[in-house]
Amino acid sequence: MFRILRKSLKTGIVTGQHDASSTSTPTVAGESAEKARSFRRSLAIREVDSGSCNGCEMEMNALMNPVYDAERFGIHIAASPRHADALVVTGPVTVNMEKALKDAYRATPDPKLVIALGDCACDCGMFKGSYAVTGPVERHVPVDVKVPGCPPRPAEILQALQTLMGHAGVAVKGRALKPKG
Amino acid sequence: MEDTSEAVRKIIEGFGSIVLNVEAVHGLPVVKVPKEDLPVIAHFIHTAPSLRGTLSLQWAVDLRPGERRFQLYYLFSLKERGDWLVLLTELDGDDRLFHSITPHIHAAKWYEREIRDMFGLIAQGHPDLRRLVRHEHWPKGAHPLKKDFPWNTVMERRQGEYAFRRIDGEGVLEVPVGPIHAGIIESGHFRFSVAGEPIMQLELRHFWKHRGVEKVFENLSLVNGVSLAEKVSGDTSFGHSLCYCQAVETLMGVEAPPRARYLRTIFLELERLHNHIGDVGAICNDTAYALAHAHCARMKERIMQLNDRLTGSRFLRGVNIAGGVTVNLWPYHLDEIVHELDEIEEDFTELTQILFNNASLADRLETTGVLNERTAWDHGVMGVVGRASNINRDVRRDHPFAAYKDFTLKVPVYHYGDVQARMRVRIDEVHESIDLIRQAHERLPEGAITAACLPAAHPGDWALSAVEGWRGEILYFVMAGQDGMIHRCKARDPSFVNWPAIQFAVLGNIIPDFPLINKSFNLSYAGNDL
Ligand code: SF4
Repeated sequence: MFRILRKSLKTGIVTGQHDASSTSTPTVAGESAEKARSFRRSLAIREVDSGSCNGCEMEMNALMNPVYDAERFGIHIAASPRHADALVVTGPVTVNMEKALKDAYRATPDPKLVIALGDCACDCGMFKGSYAVTGPVERHVPVDVKVPGCPPRPAEILQALQTLMGHAGVAVKGRALKPKG
Repeated sequence: MEDTSEAVRKIIEGFGSIVLNVEAVHGLPVVKVPKEDLPVIAHFIHTAPSLRGTLSLQWAVDLRPGERRFQLYYLFSLKERGDWLVLLTELDGDDRLFHSITPHIHAAKWYEREIRDMFGLIAQGHPDLRRLVRHEHWPKGAHPLKKDFPWNTVMERRQGEYAFRRIDGEGVLEVPVGPIHAGIIESGHFRFSVAGEPIMQLELRHFWKHRGVEKVFENLSLVNGVSLAEKVSGDTSFGHSLCYCQAVETLMGVEAPPRARYLRTIFLELERLHNHIGDVGAICNDTAYALAHAHCARMKERIMQLNDRLTGSRFLRGVNIAGGVTVNLWPYHLDEIVHELDEIEEDFTELTQILFNNASLADRLETTGVLNERTAWDHGVMGVVGRASNINRDVRRDHPFAAYKDFTLKVPVYHYGDVQARMRVRIDEVHESIDLIRQAHERLPEGAITAACLPAAHPGDWALSAVEGWRGEILYFVMAGQDGMIHRCKARDPSFVNWPAIQFAVLGNIIPDFPLINKSFNLSYAGNDL
């Protein structure tokens, strides 16, 4: 018991201890901005892997760790597309995942947003043209925001999500867990 | 090596009249036999007490356009320390049949189904010839790795359904899970049969994420293939790219300079560290112990930020190239690594003391998801999962690569094969990795970090390379094609071997424990599906 307490006190608060995103903020316009307005304070995300290398998944997971702690901005992960406001899709959409992706999209209640995460999801990356790939994501479902990168850093994902939710003003200004060497 | 020639001698002693040819390819003994006799010899290698070979990899090569032939390769790891031996057989012209070794060697089960799907070669006598990689909607006759199948074919869809193994009886329920899961995890399908709570049967239906990696490799040059190798399984970017580069270096007849080999060692251990620490937390999280998860995720993040500062990539991408590494570490980098790791080790040790003193955690982990040694051996299980089930193998010790021959390595091995054992292996390896990095730091040689020149590889020449990634043994087979291109690249992530074993580890456990067991295996879907 005391050991746990001591550990927590010793660790302190690590949230926000990361470099700020260095990429430009994606633009959200027109209909997407309109839809996003209803999710200003809370965004439930369902992550759909349509054939990623799992690098993008790892960074989505990192988003939930104490350092990035996306929950403090009202972003959380829903267990089913039926409970989601937005789908985050990774991967180039394989022939085997195409139907599952469309099903997940259909199961998500309107209004809904789709975020294509990573180079694979944006334009199939290295797998463009492969017999096993039918993407990119926007060929199958309408995409509202693209977050390029292979994989995009968690700070970049967070910035994109915040822009989408319209709190660009409070974008995380982080600092690294350790200063640059 | 001596042991292996001993093995070759034994085979010639027993089967001298049928062996067609024995040669050494880049130091690897290759025994060529007629296809009819292959199963007998494979069985002999598998069962003879002096050999006890496990099948490590089985793959096919289409030699067209050069020759109208298919080759089938079987890689065996012999005895305790896994000395290598390759069996080779060839199918001429339009011959599409070969003899299955699965009835005697379980580990061949998925490989032979994969070869059928990718090459259209049929393993006669295989007990289960359902499709593996090709889902049912793929058209008949689509075998992507055949050379006459264009890489950018647009396939039609047809109707069809996978025939799951069914258990009938009163009160038996089927529970389908996936391909899309509740957490942020990759796509895969699990089909449970349960009576009450305990699992009677689990069947996997994977390959949802099949991206055609091996075919895309064939469009790339040997030098450029490395960026694809990094994307086979993102969490093992460095392990895969290292293994690929080593195979290409063998083909080109170059060696990475000593400093590059030490740097590769340091980076590979960093990758192991962030994954192992993350996994310990994730296992705890699946017992609803969120505190440990938060601490581990924090430490993992710290190492990934360190990776980023050292190389510009949190996943250590872009570091490996054929002939060496692109990133040098300067003295202040090295001091930073050691300083960070000192702090993380202390941090992690404090946390593990908390974990080991938690009775309710131990209660969830002990005796859960037991994979016994016999099943593990039969299926050729390897890596963390293998070492938790008393399979004492580690490529870093058995076939030293990079700079590992300069270090003595303690390989943690446990007997129980439960979730607890798999967590313990990871915890022990965290300390071992930190120790290795410290040693590598002390002895880091000066000098170049890339080979001076990269000679062209001979078309048709091939090389095999192994790396102990954080999950286990990664294997790459690379065959050079014309004009510096890749003719064939077989990538094998340990996940492909360990996935089938999970079907045995869950038996008798309850479904709510499945996520925990799955997490303790933590296998890659992308690396499996390719
Ligand atoms: S974008 Fe890069 S990291 Fe993301 S899935 Fe594709 S290859 Fe992997």
